[in-house]
Amino acid sequence: MNVITDHLGEFGDGLLLTVELTLLALAGALATGTAVAAMRVSPVRVLRAAGMAYVEVLQNIPLLVWLVIAVFGLPEIGVIAGLFTTSAVVIALYQGAYTAEAIRSGINAVPAGQGEAARALGLTFVQSLRLVVLPQALRTVVQPLGNIAIMTLMNTALAAAVGVVELTAAANRVNLAEAQPIWIFVTAGLAYMALSAVFGLVTGGLERKLAILR
Amino acid sequence: MVRTPAGMRRAAVAAVAALSLTGLAACSGGDSDSAVPGSGGGKGDDLAASAPVAASLPAGSTMEKIKQRGELVVGGSLDAPLLSQQNPATKKVEGLDADFGRLLAKYIIGKPNVKIVNSASETREALLANGTVDVVFQTYSITPERAKQVAFAGPYYSSGLVIATKKDETGIKAPADLKGKTVIAGANTPAIPAIKKAAPGAKIVTFGSDPECVQALKQGRGDAYVQDEAVLLATAKQDPSIQIQGKPFTSDPYGIGLKHGDAQMKQFVNDWLKQIQQSGLWAKVWKNSIGTVVQGEAPQPPAIGSAPGSE
Repeated sequence: MNVITDHLGEFGDGLLLTVELTLLALAGALATGTAVAAMRVSPVRVLRAAGMAYVEVLQNIPLLVWLVIAVFGLPEIGVIAGLFTTSAVVIALYQGAYTAEAIRSGINAVPAGQGEAARALGLTFVQSLRLVVLPQALRTVVQPLGNIAIMTLMNTALAAAVGVVELTAAANRVNLAEAQPIWIFVTAGLAYMALSAVFGLVTGGLERKLAILR
Repeated sequence: MVRTPAGMRRAAVAAVAALSLTGLAACSGGDSDSAVPGSGGGKGDDLAASAPVAASLPAGSTMEKIKQRGELVVGGSLDAPLLSQQNPATKKVEGLDADFGRLLAKYIIGKPNVKIVNSASETREALLANGTVDVVFQTYSITPERAKQVAFAGPYYSSGLVIATKKDETGIKAPADLKGKTVIAGANTPAIPAIKKAAPGAKIVTFGSDPECVQALKQGRGDAYVQDEAVLLATAKQDPSIQIQGKPFTSDPYGIGLKHGDAQMKQFVNDWLKQIQQSGLWAKVWKNSIGTVVQGEAPQPPAIGSAPGSE
């Protein structure tokens, strides 16, 4: 077990970066997802098409490919940002597509009469979405959003491939020096498990708190 | 199949084509397909033809089992230029490590029958321990830590790390100049600890493969790239915008990974290595791979058992 205790600093730094990357990506994904879901249910045809195109393009290409394109492709056209920033933005946009679909399913679960009643009261589309539909929609999709949060956490490991020293990359580096892959990667795995357990608990708590009795 | 309007289908095809072009452009740096150094054509087979075959195999030994199977299972790479790279046209794996693997197979079985299992630096120890592969030929640097889990025959080759920069860089000549600079290195390569030791103040950025590292260097994500000499020589030869600064600053002995505790096989492989070194076959293998980019005669092979961890 010395392998682990000797390198606690490296594991700690990696874990911290994983948490930062996950939280930033989640915040971005939630914002992107809400906006795209709103576009997909909007009365404007162009917006609906754009929202659908966004989801299809982002979901149908693997995240690793997006990361490599952003890190090595964008500098070719003069856009160069730090590796951490690039990874955070790419993961946020990618997870945003999944978030949008989850939120849209929540919107579809809200009875159509709610939207119609809101419009009949004179609310605009944005107002009816913001004040009537979304608050009900988001409550029904707490569990899928929790899954997306866990998926985002796991997907941050791909940033290791483009030079971000998060938990997986840190484990790789420790293994390079110690050659004890089983202990080292089991430790990294346990850390990921602990983090996703936290997400699971938060999701469960939120769901109980926000449940709508119909 | 779901029927889609032709127009939509055509648009989808165009989109996919455009995206795959972006992907290709993103990694056009290191892998120009013509003139892959070390693709010595049929030379590898000539090497095997003149290679020795063991007079006898001890009864009940690992070698005898390999001979009965008729194939040596080697843990190796398929993407390491000059060392072990698969030629996309012929499917043949070429390079220093690949040739040595074939020669060892010839020595044990009588025919150069090799099956390469693509291993990674995270999995080599486990693959040897559970018997998935018989030997590992994969720029496997001998270290005392690794020697606790695998047996190392050799070293069969000694390499070292060198620094590469962009052509116009003048401030980096030696490892000490890396202090305070951002240095690119391959993930899971010995370059990471070596940079930490030679220039403690350097910031290290890692990428998965050599072409990615080269691309990152050219795009300015780091001031220098530290990598094994053999790999960088091949890269610098293909890409004139990259320059190698100075001589290797580490000595990196490559060993042949064997199952831990198999002293009989280690002795056997070391005997074979001694034979091919004395007969001049070792130098021919070097000429056939690394010798295609390095000028001059083959170097003196490292003394067997000289590296800590290989005794």
